[in-house]
Amino acid sequence: MNCFGLSTIRKATTATGLAMAASLLVATAEPAAAEYPEEDIQMIIPFGVGGGSDTLARTIANVIAELELLPVSIQPENRPGGSGAIGYTSVAEERGNPNVIATVSVSFFTTPLRGASPVSYKDFTPLAAISISPYIMAVASDSPLKSLDDVKSAGRLTTATVGAVSDPSLLAALTTKALDVKIDPVPFDGEGEALAAALGGHVDFVFMNPSEVLQQIEAGAMRPLAVSTANRISVLPETPTFKELGYDIEHAQLRGLVMPADVPAEAVAYWEGILKQVADSDAWREQYIERYLDEPAFLPSADYQKKIEEMNSGYKSLMEELGLL
Amino acid sequence: MEIFSLLFNGIAEATAVTTLLATAFGAIIGLIIGALPGLGPTAGVAIMLPVAIGFGGVPALACLAGVYYGAMFGGAVTSILLGIPGDAPSVMTVLDGHPMAKKGEAGRALGMSVFASFFGGMIGLLGLVVLSIPIANAALAFGPTEMTALMCLALSLASVLGGRNPFKAFVALALGFWLGMVGLDPIAGPIRFNFGFIELFDGLDFPVIAVGLFGLTAMYTSFGSEVKKEAASFKYSNLFPRLKDAISAKWVLLQGAVIGVFVGVLPGVGATSATMMSYALAKRISKNGDQFGTGVPEGVAAPEAANNSASYSSMIPLFTLGIPGSATTAVMMGGLLMLGLQPGPLLFSNNGDFIWTVFGSFWIGNLMLVFLTLLLTPLLASILFVSTALLYPAVFATVIFGVFAIEYSMSGVFITILAGIFGLILQKLDYPPVPLILGLIIGPMLERNIRRTLIQSEGDLAVFVERPIALTLFLLTAIVLLLPVLKRLLNSRSKPVSPDPAQEIQSKT
Repeated sequence: MNCFGLSTIRKATTATGLAMAASLLVATAEPAAAEYPEEDIQMIIPFGVGGGSDTLARTIANVIAELELLPVSIQPENRPGGSGAIGYTSVAEERGNPNVIATVSVSFFTTPLRGASPVSYKDFTPLAAISISPYIMAVASDSPLKSLDDVKSAGRLTTATVGAVSDPSLLAALTTKALDVKIDPVPFDGEGEALAAALGGHVDFVFMNPSEVLQQIEAGAMRPLAVSTANRISVLPETPTFKELGYDIEHAQLRGLVMPADVPAEAVAYWEGILKQVADSDAWREQYIERYLDEPAFLPSADYQKKIEEMNSGYKSLMEELGLL
Repeated sequence: MEIFSLLFNGIAEATAVTTLLATAFGAIIGLIIGALPGLGPTAGVAIMLPVAIGFGGVPALACLAGVYYGAMFGGAVTSILLGIPGDAPSVMTVLDGHPMAKKGEAGRALGMSVFASFFGGMIGLLGLVVLSIPIANAALAFGPTEMTALMCLALSLASVLGGRNPFKAFVALALGFWLGMVGLDPIAGPIRFNFGFIELFDGLDFPVIAVGLFGLTAMYTSFGSEVKKEAASFKYSNLFPRLKDAISAKWVLLQGAVIGVFVGVLPGVGATSATMMSYALAKRISKNGDQFGTGVPEGVAAPEAANNSASYSSMIPLFTLGIPGSATTAVMMGGLLMLGLQPGPLLFSNNGDFIWTVFGSFWIGNLMLVFLTLLLTPLLASILFVSTALLYPAVFATVIFGVFAIEYSMSGVFITILAGIFGLILQKLDYPPVPLILGLIIGPMLERNIRRTLIQSEGDLAVFVERPIALTLFLLTAIVLLLPVLKRLLNSRSKPVSPDPAQEIQSKT
């Protein structure tokens, strides 16, 4: 909190004109970068220990520590409850404090959209996204569905999702529209249950991350039909994207960090730099990308902000269709 | 057989010092976490994950699994001694374990739970090693339709747990169903019955309710009663375990272990349901069935055998198919990923040595736990010599800590205190708590699977009888429900005596 230089700049920016602020920024850019951060960074994980969000957050913290990118340390802290509402609210309440960070998850969007959280994505400052979790549309290997053409002509299909509002259910809604086929999502309580339902032939297909389904594909238990990213993914170079096949479906989860709203621009720039170094490092590639089979990526703050807005409106329209809003 | 030579190799490999130490460390931590009211295997494995990963390779997984099955051993300790379930799968152990302790047979009850845990563990391990692939494939055949049928069977079996008054039992069951609906509706998405609290968004945590309803209620009741020093009348010999109990309960142990293997392997069902089915079935088949609930060793044997075998069999889908079927195994899968292993159908062929050594560590861990817990039994049992005036404040503090540690939040603490008060009200009005707990566990699974089935079938109810497994389970349900009625009809025809009122009520429930 008490980084004097930064708060002075903040006041100056709001109090005086833009030109004045710009000159101040130039004048104090060097010392500010040297001063910030002077306090330990608090990393709030709005979910329990051991889950996907927890792993992501702790891996980022580990890599930053290993590469000694920060003069201070990162203190991860789990604050689960309320489907992320409790943790994210505690971050948003630190408005203007550049010593608090959090990772983004699906609940970051969906819990506020339900009206179940006092804060929304507007109460956060995106820092940067450092990897992409693609979704693979996959079927059990004994399924009659061999290609998207089969899916298109199937008439009616079911898919297993995790929860009623999630990326797979959003993708199912997009597929319904793009392929003009009726798809009923069947919500299960975890990835394991959803995968078991697909392998047991209880649903027709699943949308899953590579880390959840790639081993099944390699073992010949499941077959990929398409991937949901703009480009083909490195772990499945043979599998086409929806776009290639002529269907306008593109949706993947971005892994990134946010701070509370109204943090100084220097802090954002500083973290963009840190996260760029993380994204480019071997440690990150080994400890996250290769282990969880994500696609490497880097989106600076402004681009990430745009993506966050896009994703929010995507979830919003899905929830409107489901009658939840 | 090749499998056994692989297993013996694995056991030999697992005797490496680092692995042995990691196994013992995990098992002991698991024992403590399991015994702490509120904290169960899922929390234990999650808490130990970062520590265990530091051990690397086999020791890491041996330690994590040790926490898991150690918690299954430990959960029984507080269930028996204090009537407070140490974790969700040991709730049923309270029913007979605690009455035994009150009779002064704490050591006997603890001993029974150790033997049952060991036996269940061995059967579960046997399933894991010998039958893992057929069992895993059979589990895949269980879709939402089959799960619905299984839950109906579980409920029909458990109807014997309702107590004397069927009306009150149904009310308690319905309350359990209702409490199970609090929070996010997992199928359609809206939030139900959270009364504006974001803390209730994710629903009520089962251990939090169970600890309050059993443990705190008992303590609140003691506020109103005089502290007596009945401990002096306890017999010294009853502090020690008795092997004879285990031998005479062999069929109960076997059915519990087998139910544990088959129910534990099903994705999303878990050890707690297995203990309920096992206890209910044991009550039905045992000669002492009507004594269940008053403190009989078989009532401890049934759930403890089931929860330990279920803890191993729930790892079957994880290791053979790469599917985590429960919250605990999902955390373990995270551990596998962190170790650089890719869980999936190829895990065995790619990392066979690794897996067999881990399995080897399970056998060693199970043995370690038996000796450890048997040695500790007299010591633990003598806790009953401590006056409740001293014991309860310490226990209360431990309960509050345990519940707080689940999510590091005060909301759980408030809920458990409220659940205790609610339990007290139920007790005063003579409503049984067991059907409520049953409703809280089975209700959500039943509801979700019925709704999943109806989404799949587009509302067509015929699917429930079109699928052979589901149909079989439904027929079994019908038999379980109709059997007491038929029995009574036959009895009344052969010897027309005035019907036993207790039996009459039972057949109605």
